[in-house]
Amino acid sequence: MANLWQKLTHFKGNGWWNLPQSQAAQPNPQHEGPIGGPWLMNWWNWLTYGGKGHAGPRFYWGVGFFLAVVTLIEVWAFGWKWLGAWFIPLLLFLSVLKFVGVVAYFMHLRFDNRFYTYTFVSAMIVGIAIFSAILLLAEYAHQEPLF
Amino acid sequence: MTQAAVSNTHGSEEHHSSTGLDNRKLMMWAFLASDVMFFGTFIATYLVYRGKSLVGPYPSEVLDIPITTVSTFVLLMSSLAMVLGLHFVKAGEKNKGTFWIGAVVILGLVFLGFQVYEFNHFAHLGLTPRTNMFGTTFFILTGIHGAHVTIGVLWMAFLAYGNHVGSLRKDNAIDLEMAGLYWHFVDIVWIVIFTVIYLISANDTPPPGMESILH
Repeated sequence: MANLWQKLTHFKGNGWWNLPQSQAAQPNPQHEGPIGGPWLMNWWNWLTYGGKGHAGPRFYWGVGFFLAVVTLIEVWAFGWKWLGAWFIPLLLFLSVLKFVGVVAYFMHLRFDNRFYTYTFVSAMIVGIAIFSAILLLAEYAHQEPLF
Repeated sequence: MTQAAVSNTHGSEEHHSSTGLDNRKLMMWAFLASDVMFFGTFIATYLVYRGKSLVGPYPSEVLDIPITTVSTFVLLMSSLAMVLGLHFVKAGEKNKGTFWIGAVVILGLVFLGFQVYEFNHFAHLGLTPRTNMFGTTFFILTGIHGAHVTIGVLWMAFLAYGNHVGSLRKDNAIDLEMAGLYWHFVDIVWIVIFTVIYLISANDTPPPGMESILH
């Protein structure tokens, strides 16, 4: 257990996802790319501000444009009657894309210490579990509407 | 025993913590985590009572997708403005920072204007929180979201002023970063609300045999 705690709380400098032990070890992480790793660095440096390896206005405008396009696709899909039962899964998928885009990039979670991700995602899991439990209970308890 | 790590607070007063993380930022993430569950319950309640209203107006009779699409776009762009404002404040560019934080305030007010218009329009069509289950769940969910947006707008207004007079600087940008996290969260909640209430439920029609009170 002591080794596990050490692995979780001590930054050994071998990955940006580990918790830092000192101020010097805090982000900005070395490889701040959309999916991480040095193999995208040349492309990433062009996209970001000043080639400094962290996100800049150009990247944020790109994410904003992506969110706008996904919103337009959602509204456009609203008129696609041929989708049938696939309409809701498609909408949910597009919403998840927007959700991840905002959380990961605008909220900087992708580039921050992973402990913040653990905090938020664990609550999301609990929230979704409660959400699902409420829906299942309502389905099987068969509550009649009040008015 | 490990030494207490010093969190990176971008030059402001340093706080010692065992994780090396800024306590204020972690506090904001923990608050957002609790707010996820808060909104999750209201969205679940809406879905539980979806399609179970005994009287109208029903969603297909009142919901206006084009107008809500515009308001959704406005809120998404306010998120973009927020992250640009934070970027320029961290870069020490005061005027650009003030501009983009001010843009967040304006776009937030535009969104609230759309909400006020929509609530009034629904009231004229006969939909109030006391009309039916759709009215109750809709107004509670969107109303609480609107309250969150209002608090965010006030917060951003203070920060825009603070940046303009120089009290918000590069070294205490953590204050703006925390506000930014709150604002982005409000945006992602609206993403979910827009999808669940407007897009998925917009075609909900009266159950067979039910008369709408609009007719």
